[in-house]
Amino acid sequence: MKAVVLAAGKGEGLRPYTEKEQKEAITILGKAVISHVLYGLKKAGIEEVVIVTNEHEKQIQDAINVDIPFETVRQKRPGITGAVLDGMDKIPDDEFLLAFGDIIAEPEFYMNLMNSYITGNSKAVFSLVPVSEGMQTYGLAKIVDNRIEIVNEGSTLALAGAYIIPKGDFTDILEYFKKISPFSRYFIWSGKWIDIGYPEDIINAIEVLLSDLNNSIISDKAEISKTAVIGKKVIIEDNAIVDDYSVVKGPAYIGKNAYIGNYSLIRDYSSIESEAKIGAYCEVAHSLVEPRAEIGSKSYLTYTIVGREAKIGASVITVSYPANPVRGRERKLGALISPNEEIYHGQIIGPNYRK
Amino acid sequence: MCGIIGVISKNDEKKLATITVQCLERLEYRGYDSVGVASMEGNELEVRKAKGRIDEVVKRLNILSMTGRVFLGHTRWATHGEPNDINAHPHTDCTNSIAVVHNGTIKNFRELREDLESLGHKFKSETDTEVIPHLVEEFKKRGMDSFSAFKSAINSIQGSYAVLAIIKGENKIYFAKKDNPLIIGLGDKMNFISSDIPSFLPYTNKVLILIDGDVGYITPDEIYIENEGKKVNVMDRIKIITWDASAASKEGYAHYMLKEIHESPRAVDDTISGLISDIKDVKNAIKILEESKRIIVIAAGTSYHAGLYFSLLLQREGFNVIPVIASEYYNIKTNQEDSILAISQSGETYDVMMALKEFKANGSKIISLTNVIDSAIARQSDVKLYTRAGPEIGVAATKTFTSQIAALQFLYSLIKGDDYTYLNKAKDVIRRSLDFEGEAKLIGEELSAKSNAYYLGRGLSLPFAMEGALKIKEITYLHAEAYAAGESKHGPIALVEKDFPAVFINLGELVGELQNNVQEMKARKAKTYAISVNERLNTDKEILLTVEDERLSPFAVTPIIQLIAYYSAVKRGNDPDKPRNLAKTVTVG
Repeated sequence: MKAVVLAAGKGEGLRPYTEKEQKEAITILGKAVISHVLYGLKKAGIEEVVIVTNEHEKQIQDAINVDIPFETVRQKRPGITGAVLDGMDKIPDDEFLLAFGDIIAEPEFYMNLMNSYITGNSKAVFSLVPVSEGMQTYGLAKIVDNRIEIVNEGSTLALAGAYIIPKGDFTDILEYFKKISPFSRYFIWSGKWIDIGYPEDIINAIEVLLSDLNNSIISDKAEISKTAVIGKKVIIEDNAIVDDYSVVKGPAYIGKNAYIGNYSLIRDYSSIESEAKIGAYCEVAHSLVEPRAEIGSKSYLTYTIVGREAKIGASVITVSYPANPVRGRERKLGALISPNEEIYHGQIIGPNYRK
Repeated sequence: MCGIIGVISKNDEKKLATITVQCLERLEYRGYDSVGVASMEGNELEVRKAKGRIDEVVKRLNILSMTGRVFLGHTRWATHGEPNDINAHPHTDCTNSIAVVHNGTIKNFRELREDLESLGHKFKSETDTEVIPHLVEEFKKRGMDSFSAFKSAINSIQGSYAVLAIIKGENKIYFAKKDNPLIIGLGDKMNFISSDIPSFLPYTNKVLILIDGDVGYITPDEIYIENEGKKVNVMDRIKIITWDASAASKEGYAHYMLKEIHESPRAVDDTISGLISDIKDVKNAIKILEESKRIIVIAAGTSYHAGLYFSLLLQREGFNVIPVIASEYYNIKTNQEDSILAISQSGETYDVMMALKEFKANGSKIISLTNVIDSAIARQSDVKLYTRAGPEIGVAATKTFTSQIAALQFLYSLIKGDDYTYLNKAKDVIRRSLDFEGEAKLIGEELSAKSNAYYLGRGLSLPFAMEGALKIKEITYLHAEAYAAGESKHGPIALVEKDFPAVFINLGELVGELQNNVQEMKARKAKTYAISVNERLNTDKEILLTVEDERLSPFAVTPIIQLIAYYSAVKRGNDPDKPRNLAKTVTVG
C-alpha cells in the first residue's frame, strides 16, 4: 500500500516560527516530526510515500532520515482538500493511507490501522484518539450505530490523523469522510499520540518520547568530562561534548556534536539537538534547542523552543508561568524563538513570548 | 462468533495436526466452549470433537496423533444450542464422507432440515450447520459434481456464513463466505484458510482476503474463486503482509479490554434480543422469583456488583432479596421457599458452584445468568438465562458486566410490569458515553499518579462505585475503596487529606445528599471527581452525562468507570488485558 503524507500546512498555531520553518521539519530527539511519521509508516508495511509540500519543500526533503521510497509534490489546489487531491493523483491503487505529517505516535498506531483494515476488509478505516484539551483545535467524531459521524462539538474523540480511504472524487475532504463513513470502520488509539500544532505540543512530545526510556544510552564517541554528572534516562549521541562540572540530570537528549558548557544543568525532558551549543552556567528544563542554535552563558530556558541556528544571548531568562496554552494541562509556556532569530543579552522574556 | 481453519498440504505432513492445533489456539479468542478437528488422507476421513477448551480436548482426544494432508479445525462459541460433543463441529453427512465447519447463522435451517429429513437424511446434532453436509450429499446424489453440489448447498442457505467443507477422496477444501470473515493464506506447498490472519501468520504472510459472495476451493497449489458465477482473478487479490500483524485480532485496538468496552452497545443489544427470544425461560424465572419468600442473589467479583444492583431494585419494590458474596455462602441457610439467582460470566466460578451445591440440597429453586451457554452453573439450574456478550478476552469484565446489568434490568422491568422496550435505547446511551472517552482518559491518568482513592455513591449508584473501584484495583493496582457516601463521617473520612482522590458516582438520584458528601470531602481538600447523570455534583472535575430515561443511567456510567480504569492502567504501563495475579475464570476455592 502507498501513503499520502500531508506536510503543507500553514502551521498557524506555531507562528511566527512556521513562517521560516515547516513544522514537520522540526527536530525532536534527533528525528524530524515527519520522520517520526515515515518511520511508523515503514513499520506498517507502507511501500512508497507521496509527501505533499509547499514552498518549504526542501526543508522537508532534508528532514527525512528514514529509509523509505518517497517523492514530494507541491500543493497546487487550496486547503487540506487540495493537498489530499494533489497527493492522491500520484496513487495508482484503489485505496491508500492518508497520514498527517505532524503527528508523533508509536509505530503501532500505523500498524494497528493496517490491522484494522485487513481484519475488517472494508475500504476505509478511521483512527480516533481521546482528547481533553483544546477541543476546538481538533476534528471531532461521534460514534453512531457502528460507524463514526464527523461533528464540530459534543465529543472528546478526535480524528487521529491516519486513515485508509478509497480514492474518490470530492471537493471537501470532511464531506468525503462523511460520505464514506457508513461503510468504514474505526478504532480508538489509546497509545502515545501528539498532534504538533502548538508550542506546548512540542514540549509535551519530548516528555512523551523520553518517558519510554528506562536506562541511559550514551555513545562511546561522546566526550563526557570526568567531572560531569549524567543522571538516569539520558541519551547522548556521537561526538557530543558535555564539559566540566555540567549536569545532565535527565530525562534528556543531547544530539550529535552538541555542546554543553561548564557548570550547566540540562534537566527534565529537554532536548538539545545536533550541533547546538549551550554556554556555561545555563539551566535548561522542558525545552527544545534546535540544531546549531546557541545559548549564551548564564541563561535559563524553561518550557521554551529555540529554533534552528537561533542565538540566545547571555543571561537571558525565560518565564513560563502563568501562561494559558491552548492544549496544555499545565499553565506553563516560555518562549518560542524562530529559526535564525536573536535574543539580546540580559532580556527577561515570557510567558508565551514569540519572536 | 466461532473460529475456523483449513490446512491443506502437498506432502504427507505428519506435523499438519500440530499446525492445525496451533492455528486453533490462536483462534481461541473467537470462542472456546468446544473444539473439533477433521483430517483426511485419500479415502480416510476422521473427525474428533468435544466440548471443552482447546488444550484439554486436544489432550483428551489425542488430536495431535491425527494424520492426513487435509485438515479442518473449529473452535466454537455457542449462541444457540448447547455446547456438547455432538454439537461441536465439524459436522458430517449420513455417510461420513463430507465434513463441514461453519462460522455464522443459517436462518432457514429448520425448513432445510425438514426437507432433508423427509428425503431420508439422518441428523445427529441440533445445529444449523449440519444441514450443509447433508445438502452437499443430497446434491451429489442427484448427479452433481462436488463443486456444483457445494455451490448449490450454499445457494440454498440463508444467513451469514464462513464455511469450509472437505469431501472424501478429494484433495481440496471448498469454501464460501458471506458476512463472516474468511482469509486464505498462501504458503509453501501448503495453503491455509481461516477466520483471521494471525492464526496462520507464522507460516505465511501472503494472504487473500475473501469478500462476500466468494465461493471456491483451495488445493495445496491452487486457489479457485468465483463470485456471482464469474471466475475471480486470484493474482489481483493477493496481498503481502509486511508488518507485524500478530495483534490483528484486536482489530486496531491496543488491548482487548478497550475493544470490548467498545463492543458493549452490541453486547447489550444482543443480550436483550436473546432474552426476548428466550422469553419462556425469562417468564419461568420471574414466576419462581415472585413466588419465593426470599431471593438469594449469589455471585463473585464484578458479577456480585451486577447482582447487588438487581437486589437494590427489587428491595425497593418490597421483595425480600439478600445479595450474598459467593465465597461467604455458609452464612445463609436456604430452604424450599427460597429462590437463588446465581450470576457468573464464565458459568464456572468455583465459589458460586459450591454455594449452589448446598442451596440445591436445601431444596431451593435455582436461576442462573451466565455468558456461556450450558455452562456448569447453568446445568445446575432450574432456569438458565444468558447474557449474549460474546467471548470476553480481557480479564477485567467490561461488556459482560454491562450485559449483566441489561439482563437484570430486563428481568426487573418484567417483574414490575413495565414495558421493557426502553431498553432498546441502552445501546445508544452507551455510545453517547463513549464519546466522553477523552474526559475519562484525563481522570484515569490523574488517578494513575495516586496511591489511594475512594469511590462513593448512594442508592443505586453504590454498586457502580464498587465496580469502579474494583476495576481500578484489578488493572491499575491502585488501592481504591468504595462505600456508601453517607458512611464517610463514620470513619473513612479520617484518611482524607489534601488531594486525596474521591470519585463520586451519581446516577441522578439522591443528588442533594451526594452534594453534601462532596462538600465534606472538599472541606478536607480532597480532589473530587464525579461521573454524573443529568445533574451536577459540582466536583473539581465532573463528567456530566445526559440521559433522557433515567432507568438507563447505569448504561451511561458503566463505560466511563471502565474507561477510567483502562486509561489509568495504560498510563502506569500495565497490560490491562492480563492483570497480575488474576485469572479470567476463577475455578479454585
